[in-house]
Amino acid sequence: MNNLLNFLIKYSVVFLFLLLEIISFSLIIKNQEYQKNVFLTSSNAVVSSLYEMSNTVVEFFKLRTANDNLSEENTALKNQIIKLQAEVMTLKPQTKDSVHFQLPPELEYEFISAKVINCSTNKLQNYITLNKGYIDGIRPDMGVIGDEGVVGIVKTVNTKYSVVIPVLNEKIRINCKFKKNNYTGPLQWDGLDYRYANLNDIARHVELSLGDTLVTSGYASNFPEGIPVGLIEDFRISPSDSYYNIKVRLAVNFRTISHVKVIKYMNYGEQKAIEATAEEN
Amino acid sequence: MRLLLKKINMILFLQNIVRFILLVLVQVLVLNNIQFLGFLNPYIYVLFILSLPVKLPRWLSLLLAFVLGLTIDVFSDTMGMHAFATVLVAFVRNNIIKLFTTIDEGNNPTPSFYTFGVGAYVKYVVSIVFIHHFTLFFIEAFSFEHFWILLLKILLSTTVSILIILGIQSLKRK
Repeated sequence: MNNLLNFLIKYSVVFLFLLLEIISFSLIIKNQEYQKNVFLTSSNAVVSSLYEMSNTVVEFFKLRTANDNLSEENTALKNQIIKLQAEVMTLKPQTKDSVHFQLPPELEYEFISAKVINCSTNKLQNYITLNKGYIDGIRPDMGVIGDEGVVGIVKTVNTKYSVVIPVLNEKIRINCKFKKNNYTGPLQWDGLDYRYANLNDIARHVELSLGDTLVTSGYASNFPEGIPVGLIEDFRISPSDSYYNIKVRLAVNFRTISHVKVIKYMNYGEQKAIEATAEEN
Repeated sequence: MRLLLKKINMILFLQNIVRFILLVLVQVLVLNNIQFLGFLNPYIYVLFILSLPVKLPRWLSLLLAFVLGLTIDVFSDTMGMHAFATVLVAFVRNNIIKLFTTIDEGNNPTPSFYTFGVGAYVKYVVSIVFIHHFTLFFIEAFSFEHFWILLLKILLSTTVSILIILGIQSLKRK
């Protein structure tokens, strides 16, 4: 008994060391899961308020590019309004006494604008923190887009803040298709360069050319169809492969990102419910 | 005599708390945003563990290292990774100090250029920072898939961290 006690005292530091390492390791393992503890992330109140404070300073330096992007987007939107108005005018006489115009349910969505208060691009698993949360209507699994294109998917939400998994994270795959011929494949980041990602699962019979545009496929319930993802920068195929190895230049520059829009589907619940019942039967 | 000792301990205590807060803030607000070439991310908060008094009980330095690592983890959404690396470094620290220096009985210096001598201190910093970065980057990657790129990342980040840490330390007066 005495020996055992002596032994324990002698190696107490080693035991403490092992204990702490096991705790850290189990935290790492636990964090591999999709949902993580909201309390111990940057959506935690203390941490996010600190980030928000520092962001008020940093944002000042990004104002110029943000303004440029906003004005560009504005003009594009205005052009669209004019075009649509013209279309409505031409359609009016025909629809006078028939059924009134209705949007297809998968296109009923609205945008929630949010500000990026923390963003990394140099890790293998990058995350983005937004300054909007549950009370602003953000829920997990919503898609997030910037002015140029797809940014990522909301992961965790608390009352005032939310954390987004951006395209720049190995854990996420975004289903994309080519604008010109509708072939789809998952886009995944390889962890090397924040400007590029890889597209897999495009069979060799598909005709590609450099600079082809990739957009979201609309198959997942996070993004509507046709939001830009990137351009083909380079593609390779070895004679024995049946799939292309495609390098995609991402549309969004994650270094300068400051304002994003979260996509809120009105019929998200209904779609999920019917998909769930289909799987059950 | 005892009062004097107590006073010195108090100063040491406050020094370390201020160092902890400053290093965490600098790391989280400034250095985590340095993304040169997409490769470099210096982690200088290790300086806190490097500068703990030599004769500090080992259990205390382990606990402090765990708290430090966890704080950095919470700020950078990397649950447990930094904590793992810092605890490991705190554990091997005493052995590395013994390897490079001889500390007189009854002395309890804070590691620096003046107490260790330039050569020994540089060796001490280099080995600790390298162990820390090596563990951290491999834990983060969790595989040996991109081994050489990862090693390049580790070496570059380690070099920059060491330069920054030695720079900070050389500014300090005796």
